[in-house]
Amino acid sequence: MAPTEAAEAKVLTREALPVRSEDDVVLVRRRARELAQRRGFDGFAQAAITTATSEIVRNALVHGGGGEATLEELDRGGRAGVRLTCRDEGPGVLDLERALRGGFSVTGTLGLGLSGARRLVDEFEVRSAPGAGTTVVLTKWARR
Amino acid sequence: MRPEDAIDRLQLDEREVRRRRDYFQVTDEDLARLASHRDLATRHNDEVIEALYQFILGHPESRAFFPDAATVARVKQLQRRYFLGLFQGRCDPAYAEDRVRVGATHETIRMPARLYMGAYAVYLELIRAMFERELEPAAARAAYASAQRLVAFDMALAMDTYVAAAEDTIVRHQAAVRELSTPVIRVFDRILLLPLVGTIDTARAQQVMETLLTRVAEEQARVVIIDISGVPVVDTKVAEHMIMTTNAVRLLGAKTVVAGISPVVAKTIVQLGISLTALETRGRLQDAITLALELTGRAPAGRQA
Repeated sequence: MAPTEAAEAKVLTREALPVRSEDDVVLVRRRARELAQRRGFDGFAQAAITTATSEIVRNALVHGGGGEATLEELDRGGRAGVRLTCRDEGPGVLDLERALRGGFSVTGTLGLGLSGARRLVDEFEVRSAPGAGTTVVLTKWARR
Repeated sequence: MRPEDAIDRLQLDEREVRRRRDYFQVTDEDLARLASHRDLATRHNDEVIEALYQFILGHPESRAFFPDAATVARVKQLQRRYFLGLFQGRCDPAYAEDRVRVGATHETIRMPARLYMGAYAVYLELIRAMFERELEPAAARAAYASAQRLVAFDMALAMDTYVAAAEDTIVRHQAAVRELSTPVIRVFDRILLLPLVGTIDTARAQQVMETLLTRVAEEQARVVIIDISGVPVVDTKVAEHMIMTTNAVRLLGAKTVVAGISPVVAKTIVQLGISLTALETRGRLQDAITLALELTGRAPAGRQA
């Protein structure tokens, strides 16, 4: 592995935003787009992080009853990144594997939010347990 | 905002007034103390109000809100009543409503909150001076402390009236924007165009669908073109909305063509795993219109005549 890849990601900025209404979903994803623009992401990468953020934050609102979204601007060996950490205190994802496969929904929607968001970003981690809420961490890196 | 609406919004019942009084520590003792100085206040009423208006009318910014002598005379009369209100020995829903009425009056004439609050500071100063002139130092201090608490209670009601009016404006604007942003345009006979612009939240998605279905029925439309080039983020929620709208439109016997899909949106939709194969899609609006003309059995515009 190249030394730049092994380098720790440096957090340049960090801000926490509440997730309590649909307006908050819009505010968080708009902020994600602004950070991606500022970090020099191209149009495709901007859309990817913005859309993934939209999916995950809306999940936290609809399934988790709201929570908190933290956005970070990252730098890893000169490579720009944006990371979203979204926490909710909802019932948790009961069948994580199935939800991540896609096309499975308990609320009658497309059921593609979680699986789709995962495909849009470079790093994706979800921690969830029934009754313990859900935390999703996703990172998108700018193309070199 | 009309005073009645402001009173309605702040829900100043017995319990709410009690809650506010507790927070501002306006005790029955305060009210009784102020009431014991009612004669003093009545004697100095004119003088305090005159001094207050000397300040208000002496300042170019606040003077602008009092265009003529008749207005000045009217508001001075109201202020005299308002001033004596502090010394009535009561602070109940009727009292609070009276205070909100004064706040709403200032908001209605669009007096900026800073000018309103600035006048309150002068007002308090005049009350302090009055007590200090007329009472023993200890009594003056106690009376002024009581007056301060009650006036702070009044100021909070005035601020809340301003905030309620601002919130009302936002709600009205949101409704107006929602309505403005769902224009359904008839581009040709039986062909409708719906340009979607901005964020599609749940409320808007509902409204868009209702407006569109109504127009499809009215116009006996055969094709509906939905242009999504003005939607900043196309996620699963927007896709769901398009699929549902298409299904509903189909029930009325019309077809849907989605236009305005940019390369970035196309890639994002595929990565999300959304299948839009049930929908006719076109990149450019022009191509969507050509398709719509074909679907309604007409040659595209360019080949006519």
